[in-house]
Amino acid sequence: MIEIQNLSKSYGSKQVLNDINIRFEQGKVYGIVGENGAGKTTLFRCIAGLENYAGNITSSTQPLKNHLGLLLTDPFFFSKITGKEYLQLLCNARNITITDMHSRNIFDLPLEQYADTYSTGMKKKLALTAILLQQNQYFILDEPYNGVDIQSNIVITEIIHKLKSLGKTVIISSHIFSTLSDTCDEIHLLKNGQFSMSAGKDGFSLIENEMKTSGVGNKLERLLLQ
Amino acid sequence: MKDYFSLQLRLTNRKLQDAGMPPLVGYLLLTIAFIGLSLFLFYKSNYAPYIYPFIALSFITPLSEVRRNEFLKTCFGDKKYRTIRLLENLAVSLPFTLFLLFKVEFIVAGALVLVSLALAISNFNTQLQFTIHTPFGKKPYEFATGFRGTYLALFIAYALAIIAVSVSNFNLGVFALLMVFAVTLSYYAQPEHEYYVWSHSYTPTLFLLNKIKTAILYSTFLAAPLALLLCAFFFNQTYILLVIVSAGYVYLGCIITARYSSFPHEMGLAQGILLALCIVAPPAAILILPYFFNRSVERLQPILK
Repeated sequence: MIEIQNLSKSYGSKQVLNDINIRFEQGKVYGIVGENGAGKTTLFRCIAGLENYAGNITSSTQPLKNHLGLLLTDPFFFSKITGKEYLQLLCNARNITITDMHSRNIFDLPLEQYADTYSTGMKKKLALTAILLQQNQYFILDEPYNGVDIQSNIVITEIIHKLKSLGKTVIISSHIFSTLSDTCDEIHLLKNGQFSMSAGKDGFSLIENEMKTSGVGNKLERLLLQ
Repeated sequence: MKDYFSLQLRLTNRKLQDAGMPPLVGYLLLTIAFIGLSLFLFYKSNYAPYIYPFIALSFITPLSEVRRNEFLKTCFGDKKYRTIRLLENLAVSLPFTLFLLFKVEFIVAGALVLVSLALAISNFNTQLQFTIHTPFGKKPYEFATGFRGTYLALFIAYALAIIAVSVSNFNLGVFALLMVFAVTLSYYAQPEHEYYVWSHSYTPTLFLLNKIKTAILYSTFLAAPLALLLCAFFFNQTYILLVIVSAGYVYLGCIITARYSSFPHEMGLAQGILLALCIVAPPAAILILPYFFNRSVERLQPILK
């Protein structure tokens, strides 16, 4: 369980998160949606402890960061590090020993090649494989479907289902609403630094409609008809 | 075209400012460092006139990188692009050429200019397309990635050690050993991405000790063959080699802790001055190393708490 109480974060005078309160339960999948710049990544970075913030973030497993797998929107890779070495590095960081790396390579990545030569989707899959190998209890997946091919999309969805069945807590952000409605138990809409709407499976369509209304509105008319 | 070069100047100035020094001071220090290192190389080795152009080329060849040049071509017309490439290559080779002229190495200087001009009309992938396997894969990443970027320098160091033995020149051997350590120190010059530090489930102290332990282990792996070779042929000078190897370990400790003492930023002027002090006056490391270590623990605390 991760509990966030009165979380606020600002960069200078710009308030990005404003008094966020939410509880992420074990064995559940949560979707966080919102426009670009709504604060999703900042929220994730706060949970991970990569940002200073006001408020409290507690978890049932302490310290949270040592049990958290964080998939960044745009994972960073050192120049000239191979895929295998990247996985080894992330496993060493958590004292995890993997004897047969290749059998764990479920995305069939070319692990002997340099990771910085991978395509966007391959990089994402490598980073995801790494945090899965770390045997974390919590997972934050920031745009896990970005740039990933359709077969791997299906695999990622299955991975999320599997993590849920193993009692892990998964928090996802995605701009593809259907991927969230397939996997999430709850979806929260982040707007102006606060959760403006939250819904369980029954209310997903309401959130989608709200996003369409506020995101699209009459913008197309303004763009195309003037 | 003028805009392009003034932009390059602004970017360079910005990098120097980010490192904590005013651009004019930065240019002055870089000039002093360049002249100092060049004089040192020529003082230490008879082969310097042959090594020197290769060092120059290591700075020039990245300018021929395909993607960079495709971008330049799309921004400027063909004619302007060619002029930019020629001017860039000449500008980078100029300090090396002037030093070679100062050393009355006219033929080598001329050859360097010609090769620089030739490189200006050719583009190529500066990164090898195949993977270089290293023995450092078990504990990535600094030595694994660093080795791939510097294997030529290490090859030169090993070659110099063999030459040192064959011509019975102990000083050249010492230079080769120092070169190996200098190369390994360069692996720690850049700050580590915060995500990788964050990923570790260690305390800051343990994190730093692990980094230092790995650096000592892997630098020994690179330096030992060379040190043993020199020991075998210059047995009476073994104690000097031991001092150099020990100093290399201390410097590794210093640079690793200096790197994290400004984390997540790059090392600044203060770290640079203290590291230079360690090199000029090695006993200063007794104070500087613990200072850097404590500063690093403080800087890492928020992310490894």
